[in-house]
Amino acid sequence: MTAREMFEQFKQRFGPLIVRADLPSDNRLFVFVDPSSVRYVTQHIFRELDARYVATIGADDRPFSGKFLVSHNFAFDKEHLLCGVLAYLPPDKPQIDSITDMVPAASWGEREMRDLVGIEPVGHRYLKRLVLPDGWPEGSHPLRKDTLWNEVPAEYNPEREFKFDEAPEGCMVVPFGPFHPTLDEPAHFRLFVEGEMVRGCEYRGFMVHRGIEKLAESVMNYNDIPMLAERICGICGCVHNVAYVQSVEEAAALKPPPRAEYIRTIMLELERLHSHLLWVGLACHIVGFDTLFMQSFRIREPIMWMAEKISGNRKTYALCVIGGVRWNITPELKVELRAVLDKLESEWRPVIAAVSRDKNIQKRTCGVGVADAGLVKNIGLIGPVARAAGVDIDCRRDHPYAAYDRVEFNVITEQGADVWSRLLVRAKEVFESIRIIRQCLDKMEDGPLQLEIKDELPIGRMGLSSVEAPRGESHHFVITGENNRPRRWRVRAPTYQNLQGIPAMIKDQQIADMTISLGSIDPCFSCTDRLETVDLRSGSVKVWSQEELLKLTRKKAGR
Amino acid sequence: MKAVIWMIVGGLANVGLVLLVAPLAQGVLRKVTARIQSRQGPPLLQPYFDLLKLLGKEDIESGESPGMQRFAAYLSLAAILAVACLVPMGFSAPMNGAGDVILLIYLLTLCGICTLLAGLAAGSTYSLVGISREMMSMIVLEPLFAIALVVGALHAQSFRLNEVLSGSVYAVAGTPYSGLIMLVVMVLSFQAFVQRVPFDISEAETELMEGPLVEYSGPKLALFKYAHMAKLIIYSALFVTLFVPWGSGLFLPLAWLLFWAKVFVLVLLVTVVAATHARYRIDQAIRFFAGLVGVSFVALILASYGH
Repeated sequence: MTAREMFEQFKQRFGPLIVRADLPSDNRLFVFVDPSSVRYVTQHIFRELDARYVATIGADDRPFSGKFLVSHNFAFDKEHLLCGVLAYLPPDKPQIDSITDMVPAASWGEREMRDLVGIEPVGHRYLKRLVLPDGWPEGSHPLRKDTLWNEVPAEYNPEREFKFDEAPEGCMVVPFGPFHPTLDEPAHFRLFVEGEMVRGCEYRGFMVHRGIEKLAESVMNYNDIPMLAERICGICGCVHNVAYVQSVEEAAALKPPPRAEYIRTIMLELERLHSHLLWVGLACHIVGFDTLFMQSFRIREPIMWMAEKISGNRKTYALCVIGGVRWNITPELKVELRAVLDKLESEWRPVIAAVSRDKNIQKRTCGVGVADAGLVKNIGLIGPVARAAGVDIDCRRDHPYAAYDRVEFNVITEQGADVWSRLLVRAKEVFESIRIIRQCLDKMEDGPLQLEIKDELPIGRMGLSSVEAPRGESHHFVITGENNRPRRWRVRAPTYQNLQGIPAMIKDQQIADMTISLGSIDPCFSCTDRLETVDLRSGSVKVWSQEELLKLTRKKAGR
Repeated sequence: MKAVIWMIVGGLANVGLVLLVAPLAQGVLRKVTARIQSRQGPPLLQPYFDLLKLLGKEDIESGESPGMQRFAAYLSLAAILAVACLVPMGFSAPMNGAGDVILLIYLLTLCGICTLLAGLAAGSTYSLVGISREMMSMIVLEPLFAIALVVGALHAQSFRLNEVLSGSVYAVAGTPYSGLIMLVVMVLSFQAFVQRVPFDISEAETELMEGPLVEYSGPKLALFKYAHMAKLIIYSALFVTLFVPWGSGLFLPLAWLLFWAKVFVLVLLVTVVAATHARYRIDQAIRFFAGLVGVSFVALILASYGH
């Protein structure tokens, strides 16, 4: 079904509720509705038309239209259609009906919108702070256009602490994180534990929010941002790099040259290869099976070298600019890449054969961290977590981008909905990635790497891009703007949705299963937090207070 | 008088030997593990340097009750070294006259108690979860070794160390059913006694951040690590004397070498099992041990009827 047909269907159903619609292509649909009917429209789309919830975006559009803007994005995966339901809100007291009672997956999206843009989701049942630090004063919203990018409100109080929920009766609180051997990045779970059983948990994350979106919207330009975007994550950086570039290209109606599209596909699949191998290793480490951890890192290493040969870096490829790519894959590199893939395939096959027969690993992973198809739908879980529950979604096939429409591959699904199924999905996807890269190398035609862009990019256009990261769909939303930079750029990384499923996945499980359950979504807190760690090298011994550290970082940043 | 002096000298020799060999066994274990994992691995003598490094560090008092923390660290090494005095290591047991198998069982239990004390002293949530796991596994594990020793004692008609710790489990006329059953039981549970994967549940780094040891650092941690290494050697020695006595009748240097060769084979076995398994969950482990306890009771009954 094309966007036009879907729109006709909407018109019949909603009629006068639709204020305006944009149909930039066959696969994109933006419907502007009256704010009071957002609940009705989204419920229909989510429940009756069975769309998948993708993201909620709030934007301060006052300097341009005089209003606030909210967009609930949905995906019709079978129809290959991404759809935004948008509503303009009055500038003085922006509020909109919460859709979380019908679309539970929107919970974080609405809380983030409330924190950062100050749009109140009326009727949201759990309006605790999500993104902003505890000491941040009420009423100050960083993503509003009248807040400067480097502004810290005068009332900021670093002493204020987060109010955690009360533990249920008879439960002991086990703090998990911010620092824990299996957490590579800070996140805090308060587990409510009865004996060895987890009865519930509360999550407090976003501890090192970097404000990347604000930075992009206020000081960087279109071609700086891809380099910033890939620093969102240390493992799937290229995904964000490509997704951002694609959403801008879509908004500006640019089509990169075919060779660039093939190179993007190859790099994305290389990234998936190294990420899946890394995940299998870490998962084994979590359950105490260090031998496979070491072996998968050994098998993974040549991929990293290959990436370095192509881009100059093991990670953080700095691949895309608007309208193309920066690195070529020369005939020599092609030969080498093929050899690396052959070796990887021949080494990975026996590993998987051994693991899939291993009763010992199955004992720790079967029936653990279950997220069934119902939970997948309600919380909007994606990627291997969804596919392991038999939900057949994959953006590479459903919303093709780069050169994915020109290659053949299978979408791997399993039925177990547990950690074991997720392990199988990832293990088998490695072979599909190898297949995709080989086809790309065969089909890649000669030609330019970049599009020549002579004109300014158009202003006020919207672009969406969903890229299938190793962890699931990474969704970028862009509104183009003045000064050679976007007005609004919103990143929804896969972990953002998958993390919301964790409380349900670990409930009534053993505390020993908590780490592997959390590990099974391949959590990437930096994607969620958009954080960065700062390595401080100081010759003398000194204990830094939070105040001093802030001062130091600000001095370094030249403020 | 002369006998007493020999007893003390022998005991000290055993203690010295264990202290000397334990880090080497750990080094072998680490090297072999690394090889299985396609790694280079640390030098064989690395565990000695690790211990020296830890011993040279600042002694920090932390946790809820630092006194008990210190006591637990001393006691853990002391208890396991006391066991060393009672175990024949290629020679007959030096303290043969001073203690019997019952004392041995008590001292082995004391080692587990130290872990509990350490966890209680730390008082952190993780250490408490760790000791609750340790306690659960102790309750089902300790009877296993005790039954193995009692089976030996029943066959030997004596609780004396030298008589029990010389392959006594097979000392019956005809097929030693009870001894063979206990051999299988001990092989299956051996990883748990020496606290290695898949049964290092109470310390599980990736779950509990070393559990009871979470607050330990510096010299006190060194003592615990040393005790941990010594445990591997001593349990291996006990296993060898109880279940693999063959060749102990040879003339001295050869018997002695054979004994240590057997101990190192056992260490290698432990290494390979640890490197090829994932950690079990506590409930899975307890179910497994409980099954073994049931089987070993059968062995006990058989033994009491002289089979």
